[in-house]
Amino acid sequence: MTETTIPRGNTLPRIRPWLGIAAAASFVVASVMALFWAPTDAVQGNVYRILYVHVPLAWLAYLAFVIVFLASVGWLWTKNPLFDAIAVSSAEIGVLFTGLFLVAGSIWAKPTWGVWWTWEPRLVTTAIMFVMYVGYLLLRGLSTDFSRRATRAAVFGIIAVIDVPIVHLSVLWANSLHQLPTVLRAGGSPALDSSMLLTLMVSLGAYTLIYAYFMTSRVSLELARIRRLWTT
Amino acid sequence: MDNLIFVVAAFAIVWGALLAYLISLRARGA
Repeated sequence: MTETTIPRGNTLPRIRPWLGIAAAASFVVASVMALFWAPTDAVQGNVYRILYVHVPLAWLAYLAFVIVFLASVGWLWTKNPLFDAIAVSSAEIGVLFTGLFLVAGSIWAKPTWGVWWTWEPRLVTTAIMFVMYVGYLLLRGLSTDFSRRATRAAVFGIIAVIDVPIVHLSVLWANSLHQLPTVLRAGGSPALDSSMLLTLMVSLGAYTLIYAYFMTSRVSLELARIRRLWTT
Repeated sequence: MDNLIFVVAAFAIVWGALLAYLISLRARGA
């Protein structure tokens, strides 16, 4: 591979400041709505407000790992280093988001279920997903050869995505303590109050912008690292 | 507010981790 095959990524620095401003502004609005504007839940009280960070982070983690899958296919298909940069960036952010939604979910579970953790299907499959993508990041450290490392990681990234639908559907397949889908449920509209749904959607938008901002920054870093690797 | 400590803890951990990741990106040159 020559340096000319490595994308320069000139577009990312131009849009990143605007993405950062949009992410920060929407994050403030979403946080105010989640903590103060959304009504108190009749059953759970205020502790349900944790779900305004738990649920968007979970959905964004799913998205991040699906993007790892797509970028992995892209690398194997084209051998363009941009796809490898996208895959590792999305995996890293996906691991961060998965760790955070596990912790937020655990904090919500203590006052709601009475335990920090229980070995039920949704939690176990999520923990497996977390460990698998930590493994994906560790696997990348096993080889210094760029193409070999990217190819091994891509194969792992394609296989590991199988766990994403398993995590989401585990509550339907098994008798689970975790509640069933409230928004993304088959054959029905979202089963929550309109102001709660609006707050959830604003939070989802805010965390999507944060994911996009992190991605532009991380992909730029990775491309610069690859460029350094091939010019030294 | 009932269970205030749990709500504060969850939001603080999430906000803190996101800020830490942002700082780590900046430290790496982003």
